[in-house]
Amino acid sequence: MKHVVIIGNSAAGIAAAESIRQIDKTSKITILSDEGYEAYCRCLLSYYLAGEVDEEKIPYRPKSFYKENNFDLLLNKKVVSVEPEKNRIVLEDKSSVGYDSLLIATGASPKFPKGVKGLQQKGVFGLRTLKDAKDIVALLSSSGSVCVLGAGLVGLRVAHALSKRKLKVTVVVKSKQVLSQMLDARAASLVQKKLESNGIEFIMGADAVEVLGGAQVKGIKLDSGKEVPCSLVIVGKGVSANMDLVKDSKVKCADGILTDKFLQSSIPGIYAAGDVCENFDLTIGKTAVNALWPIAIEQGKIAGSRIAGASEAYDGSMGMNSIEFFGLPVISLGVYDIKGASVSLEELETFDENKGMYKKLILKDGKMIGAIMVGDIRASGLLLSLIRNKVDVAPFKDKLLLEDFSYPHIAGKTNEKEQMYV
Amino acid sequence: MKNLYYVVKKCVGCKTCELACAVAHSESDDLSKALKEKRVARPLVRVYGVSGKDYPVTCRHCKDPKCVAACMAKALTRDVKTGMVLHDEDRCVGCWMCVMVCPYGAIRPNHKIKLPLRCDRCKDKDQPACVKACPTKAILWEEEPEPKK
Repeated sequence: MKHVVIIGNSAAGIAAAESIRQIDKTSKITILSDEGYEAYCRCLLSYYLAGEVDEEKIPYRPKSFYKENNFDLLLNKKVVSVEPEKNRIVLEDKSSVGYDSLLIATGASPKFPKGVKGLQQKGVFGLRTLKDAKDIVALLSSSGSVCVLGAGLVGLRVAHALSKRKLKVTVVVKSKQVLSQMLDARAASLVQKKLESNGIEFIMGADAVEVLGGAQVKGIKLDSGKEVPCSLVIVGKGVSANMDLVKDSKVKCADGILTDKFLQSSIPGIYAAGDVCENFDLTIGKTAVNALWPIAIEQGKIAGSRIAGASEAYDGSMGMNSIEFFGLPVISLGVYDIKGASVSLEELETFDENKGMYKKLILKDGKMIGAIMVGDIRASGLLLSLIRNKVDVAPFKDKLLLEDFSYPHIAGKTNEKEQMYV
Repeated sequence: MKNLYYVVKKCVGCKTCELACAVAHSESDDLSKALKEKRVARPLVRVYGVSGKDYPVTCRHCKDPKCVAACMAKALTRDVKTGMVLHDEDRCVGCWMCVMVCPYGAIRPNHKIKLPLRCDRCKDKDQPACVKACPTKAILWEEEPEPKK
């Protein structure tokens, strides 16, 4: 009997397992996870941290899920290496598991910068796993203030969550703006102002060099020499793909495991999907890791169906994100800044500072390759569809920023399957 | 499986469907009372005027719904038996991922209550309220055509 091994029990791993089972009811499917929980909604962790979502709403699938689908789930199993020539994986306890097809969906881990001293002590966390979240929550009652290192998505979500828990929050940002991986300077400043007006403090252009304390965190020391007292430190300096397990193999990697249009790695029979996977990026025109929940699902589905023998191909992913802080919604799609672009790009924008409303679209050769929307996000799905379908928007580009820009403007242009009008 | 279709040449943009939809989704199901409710119901269908024509827009309950795939809280699911995309308000955290990925722009954020506005085909009624209300019979409630080969 064919044995499919899936390393990783989150978005990509589960999507793949389900998609295999849809086609193939008999193969043995083993899912391994280095965590101790059944699949859960990872993106809800910041809401859990804020006290807005209870633990009972965290599970991603019902209790009966693994049994009903005949998935063998092995928890708390860390895979340390892949041996393609022997078709097997090796676990931390030196035992091995053979496979016919392998999906690596190991996700990513928070980066802990090497230059910062004292990051190993108690009271310093990344936010990636349910265990991280529970450990932070356990310390909340004895914590009055927190320093968040980094103003990326996770950093700001944690800052937002902990301010809802009434902690004094200070965010230390090395660059000139927040969310530099998804917003331009203007959008970032709207977000920052919103957070500041709700009591979150920012120290810009500074970096932590040391976490102070010993048995207990007492504060952080900045590169300026200034010390900021706090009893909790959250590191939000981005994530890196969990691909150590293939470092001694011939599986080709860059920022993630490089995959083809079927999500197969450079070694036949070994696939990758989700935050560990590097694939073609539709908007920047080269390969990239887009570590996002919806993309992990997409990739997992394609990889799974391919493992089960189907031939649906993946056209690629793109960066996209939706966030909301204190009632200010923000969406970023694809290319978000034209600074440093080597080819000529066109920008269209509207900005109303009083309303906190800002929209910017980026076009290349008459086609959209990116957008930022702050305050009014209603048309974001349509813009995403125009980007993904590479629609020539030149004939109607004056409509794109209208307040009532709507599906009828683009009906028939985007290759959607569902009919609406007769 | 039945779906909603719109005869564009019959639609006059009167927005009677929007009103009927909002009332149907109010607690009282009564226009005069609906406006005084604590959570004022909003229309789930919207009519947009484009180039002199009027077009209603609603959730298509897609067979391969992007919103369900993107929903990180597992609030959106697709019921294979009924073909309906269902939304569990209790699980929803208002992250707007569904708004971001809907290729029809058929999901709008209701910022007041942090929940998406999306057509549920009046699932508890015998037929969608908009169909009954449309004065020009521009809204059809019909079996879906066979998928094109």
